[in-house]
Amino acid sequence: MLMQNLKILLVVLGTLGLYTWVANAIPQIESEVPTELAFGADVAPEELVRAGEELYAGAGQCTSCHGLGTRAPNLLTDHEGEGTIGQRCGGRVPGEDCKTYLHRSMIEPAAYLVQGFGPIMPDQRINLSNNQIWALVAFLQDQGGQVTVTGADLASEAPSPAAAPAPAAPASTSLDPLELLRSNACLGCHLLGDEGVQLGPPLSGIGARVTADYIRESILDPAAGVSEGYESVQGLMPPIFGQSLTAAQLEAIVRFLAEQR
Amino acid sequence: MRSGHRGAGVALGVLLLAVFALAAEPAWAQETARQYGDFPLIGSRAAIWVAAQLHLFFAAFVLGVPMFAVVAEAIGIFNKEERYDKLAKEFTRLLLVSYSATAIWGAVLVFGLVTLYPGVWSYLAEIFDVSMWVYVGIFFFESFTLYLYYYGWDHWKAGRAKWFHWGLGILLNVWGTLVMFIANSWLTYMMSPPAEVTPDTAPAMVQFWSAFANATWMPINIHRLIANVVFGGAIVGAYAAYRFLMARTDEERAHYDWMGYIGNLVAISALIVLPFAGYWLGREIYEFNQQMGITMMGGFMSWLWIVQAFLIGVLFLAGNYYLWVGMGRIPGAERFTPYTKYMLVVLVLGVMVWATPHTMIANRDEISAMGGQFHPFLGVLGVMSAKNTAVNLMILTTFLSFLLYRRANKEPVVGWARQGTVIQGAVFAIAALIVVFYGVYGYFVPAIVRIGFSVYQVLAVLGTIVAVIAIDIAMMRGATSRGAIRWGQMPARSQYALFILAVTFTWLMGLMGFARSGIRQHWHVFEVMRDTSQWAATPALGYASVVISACVLIFLGLVGFIFWVGGLAEKPIISSTGAGPGPGPQPVAGD
Repeated sequence: MLMQNLKILLVVLGTLGLYTWVANAIPQIESEVPTELAFGADVAPEELVRAGEELYAGAGQCTSCHGLGTRAPNLLTDHEGEGTIGQRCGGRVPGEDCKTYLHRSMIEPAAYLVQGFGPIMPDQRINLSNNQIWALVAFLQDQGGQVTVTGADLASEAPSPAAAPAPAAPASTSLDPLELLRSNACLGCHLLGDEGVQLGPPLSGIGARVTADYIRESILDPAAGVSEGYESVQGLMPPIFGQSLTAAQLEAIVRFLAEQR
Repeated sequence: MRSGHRGAGVALGVLLLAVFALAAEPAWAQETARQYGDFPLIGSRAAIWVAAQLHLFFAAFVLGVPMFAVVAEAIGIFNKEERYDKLAKEFTRLLLVSYSATAIWGAVLVFGLVTLYPGVWSYLAEIFDVSMWVYVGIFFFESFTLYLYYYGWDHWKAGRAKWFHWGLGILLNVWGTLVMFIANSWLTYMMSPPAEVTPDTAPAMVQFWSAFANATWMPINIHRLIANVVFGGAIVGAYAAYRFLMARTDEERAHYDWMGYIGNLVAISALIVLPFAGYWLGREIYEFNQQMGITMMGGFMSWLWIVQAFLIGVLFLAGNYYLWVGMGRIPGAERFTPYTKYMLVVLVLGVMVWATPHTMIANRDEISAMGGQFHPFLGVLGVMSAKNTAVNLMILTTFLSFLLYRRANKEPVVGWARQGTVIQGAVFAIAALIVVFYGVYGYFVPAIVRIGFSVYQVLAVLGTIVAVIAIDIAMMRGATSRGAIRWGQMPARSQYALFILAVTFTWLMGLMGFARSGIRQHWHVFEVMRDTSQWAATPALGYASVVISACVLIFLGLVGFIFWVGGLAEKPIISSTGAGPGPGPQPVAGD
């Protein structure tokens, strides 16, 4: 009986030992906690780049998506022949310099979606501090470009996502529905004709599918319902257009879309 | 009897202490600025981890076993087979002696949270206080229903009283399920709090039902329900294996051989369904927060799934091995023996494909060493098309093993038996073709289309299981026997396979617990309440594996002790009057 018990114990310990060994034999990756960065007003670009590189490969978890070529664009290597991120960032949005583009991409990741990729990146303000975000911007600029982040940028803190106030006033007074659809980034997720990205329901032919009231409600309260087949992107559309558009602009868009048959 | 009462007293005493902690803690926590306590040597994180994991191991066992105990009792009632009734009672005895350990570890967990993580505890208690009181109330009902169910077994054993007794078993499952659902809401809230809850939301302002029925609550509920059955079956199998190896009589050996077979059948059958619940949970995690899903599958946890594939490979191999060895005690099974080597080849190849890494985090040196982001050869096998194909073929193969085992000593008498067998074979072949076709086709379509292919593969396999079993049941009606199963005539090595299954299931449960909890990373409540303690980082898999192995060892040691103690005080269920697995030849000693 003693031998039998010993054999059982050996089988149990051997099995546990094997699993523990396998788990220790593979690459060991710890999920680090982003440590707070403190920089002086005269912080050197090299210092920012170094801190950004550590965040990029570590606690920032950027490599979970960027670099695999499947979930998000490569940043450290070429993408679609446009070069590394430091080379291409300045030309991504007309009138927007590299630094502004990269910073906005961190705090409003859905603002500029690269064609072919989904809006999966979280607002980095949830995980990272202002200094950490700027350090990452500096590191990305350094990938083939020039670092322009300075101590003054670090002093200008972006509002936290929870505290970010709703847009106070409409950015534009235009009543041209097409211009409004473009300036409000609607075509960043919806396809209209050949323009836009098909993440959410297409706007082409929408007037034949739903009523004007439905369109209005969907703009004002995107969470009110979800179109069949688009459940996975539910919640992506921000519920801000009731504040950011004037009544006339809203109605112009609704009328325009209701006529898309 | 005395030990049972003592166990009941301990469980209720511990529960009352925990209730006291529940009631008194929030006010205390609010009065102190202390957010974290410290635990000597291993630290607070490991201390809470061990307490929670051990509570979960015992809880899964005491929730899983009643499910198949009630089914076994029902088979006994409907088929008028007393052996199933006795088996159900033995299952319940294991349950009874494990119950107080579940409560004790639950209390250790609560006290650990109150002393080591008072800030988190206070936060959760303020949101979930009502549900915590309801939990305690239902726990009382569950306890007393269990005592009635077990101690009333021989009292309510005939006629309408037996139905009443069976109803108690159902009620026991209802209470247990409710208790689990309530506790699941607390932990899933930490994973997937409602969108309207932000770091600035005071806990008093969080809407209870929205927090309770959060995005991952129901998927976790369903996943745990099934996993509990798998786990319960595996532990019962290991218990039976131990009793088999220690048996002094042939009759005892025959009974525990049969019990081990039932435990393994329960575990493997439920395991086949478990991945579908897992897919649902994974999908809900992605829908709740894509980043969380990516962290889980492709971020710092990506290697975890390779380890998981290895473990599940062991489960498939050990489960099939047990069946193949078991066919040695079935007259007529020898005609199927030549096929086992082919099934082994399919299983081994399947495990190898499934365990192939794909989208791993790699540094620049590693990428350049591979010549690209993906390994030039392994990258082809590491994609979901190959993996889904492999795992579906493994499930089909395992089902084929069960089918051969089931048919081993039967000789169908229906006139269409030959055609029926041909149809069954054709169904298998068509399913395998569908699985392979969509696996290959998946390489030529975009990812969004490819994801949908897994549904067709799964449906083909599930459809095969249902159709083949239906044909088999009809075909084997009135079948003659080539000879009764020689229960007890089983090589000892087969029983070690049951131990390996139990250890692996337990370890796998620990690993998945780490995955579920670890994807929150440095958040107590994801993106709402940050972990600011010195233990905030989520450790690498190597460290996690050491904690998991320690938990499994403690659990199995305690289970062994508890079952031994329980056995000392109970009258043997197997008596010399004969409660073996059924009619047939006398059991014969195994080797």
